[in-house]
Amino acid sequence: MLFRLEKLSYCYSDGTLALNEVSLSITKGERIAFLGINGSGKTTLLNHLNGILKPTSGTVYYEDTPLEYNTKSLLSLRKKVGFIFQDPNDQLFAPTVKQDVAFGPLNLGYNQHETRKLVDQALKTVGMNEFAEKPPHFLSLGQKKRVALAGVLAMQPEAIIMDEPTANLDPIATSEILHLLLRLNKDAGITLILATHDVDMVPLFATRLYILNKGKIVSEGTPKEIFSNVELIRNANLRSPRITHLFEVLKKEDNLPIDDQLPLTISEARKEILKMLKKQPNS
Amino acid sequence: MEHSHFYAQIDRYAYTNALAKCSPITKGFFAVSALLISVSSSSALLSATIFLITTIVTLYVAKIPFHFYFDMFTLPTIMLMLSCLFIALFFGYGEKLAEIGMLGFTWVIFKNGVTLSITTFLRVESALSCLFFLVLTTSITDIFITLRKIKVPKTIVELSLLIYRYIFVFLEVSAKMNTAQTLRLGNSGFINRIRAIALVAGNLFIRTLEQGERTFIAMNARGYDGNLHVLEDLPKPTKIALIGIALFDAAMLVLIILTISIGVI
Repeated sequence: MLFRLEKLSYCYSDGTLALNEVSLSITKGERIAFLGINGSGKTTLLNHLNGILKPTSGTVYYEDTPLEYNTKSLLSLRKKVGFIFQDPNDQLFAPTVKQDVAFGPLNLGYNQHETRKLVDQALKTVGMNEFAEKPPHFLSLGQKKRVALAGVLAMQPEAIIMDEPTANLDPIATSEILHLLLRLNKDAGITLILATHDVDMVPLFATRLYILNKGKIVSEGTPKEIFSNVELIRNANLRSPRITHLFEVLKKEDNLPIDDQLPLTISEARKEILKMLKKQPNS
Repeated sequence: MEHSHFYAQIDRYAYTNALAKCSPITKGFFAVSALLISVSSSSALLSATIFLITTIVTLYVAKIPFHFYFDMFTLPTIMLMLSCLFIALFFGYGEKLAEIGMLGFTWVIFKNGVTLSITTFLRVESALSCLFFLVLTTSITDIFITLRKIKVPKTIVELSLLIYRYIFVFLEVSAKMNTAQTLRLGNSGFINRIRAIALVAGNLFIRTLEQGERTFIAMNARGYDGNLHVLEDLPKPTKIALIGIALFDAAMLVLIILTISIGVI
């Protein structure tokens, strides 16, 4: 078990109860999405996984050891768990891309030579090695996000936590980030945990997801399980993916012979349509 | 992104000019020694020589476009002209150059006042040319690493590094706020304009505090331990360049002595 949260509650200083007895566990290699509207407690929850926030009550376990909040144990946690913030300007503080990516490895005590290697490698992975000498303010938002990711990758983490990794990105940048993340999970076995309200992206990304509403986990399961319960999704003020919604309407209103298990992605929808037309896919 | 912004443009040249890959120690040595020599002497001939040489190096060796270099000088030169006019009119003693009767007063302009005005003008312009050379040819990262190398206190270097980065973040924020105000006619009329600027300033101040907190959290999340470590890869200064600059400095010093002994200003 990589992460385990036990009855985690967090109360902000103004009295807002942002998390209310949240319990969950995450195993190595999973791709987890926390889905919820703005203010549902997603960011607060993520901040606990990296020790940025200390729970008001309850415990966070990493690899079955309860988290301690002293400098030394936080440092060793942050070596293994990288965090990518929603606004890359919060994260990119150094005058050049290369210096920024080098920040993490140097903090971990790697020497100049080792750091340079890690930086090169990380920038190559995210496809930003041409921009190594550029200052961050010359980059687009999508490029800044990729540099922020490289900054975390250079620390060779076991898990990466991301707050809204695709927010405000154009369609191409979104799909690039998404594919990059999937590749990291597949090739390097990095556990990915993200918060989002992009319901169309979730089925493409997540192996498992949690629905958050008003600081509580209201549901947990695979995308198929979660999105088949339309009632639950709507109660959390979310919606089904567009393609799922279309098939739901076609099934209910137009009585098309559609499987109870509604498709969540374009490729599943394609299969479903071809099945209805009794046609073999053109591969 | 505000690519057209003047400061961003300076930054861009610092990263892309023909001397960008040259050692910052060499460039810093050249600029600082020329600056010190030019401010330590009141010789107009010396100031003019240093101004010409640094300008030629900036325009033809570093290949900074003339119009941009010219633009950089415009504002300080206007300010300088006003001060020098003031010096010429009010300073000096001894030999009179002109007397002007005005409103019942007799206004006296002295010869050494005018001389002082001219030498001051040239001295400041030559100092500016040294500074602009450094600013336009050397990226801020290189300057920071060099400062650290020559043992400037860490706190100062680290603060400057963060300030530098967030100047650009806040430039963007303030430009956006300004646009938002203009679109709602916040900049129409003098009073409105003052009010709008005050609002942006107040807002920016709060934003900086919030940004500071978020950046600190983000730095902690990557294992910040109170020390900002940086990658130190700088091009090494070539001996020949350093010797060349030393000879140039020596020649300028000889020029100072010459101007004093033969009495040229």
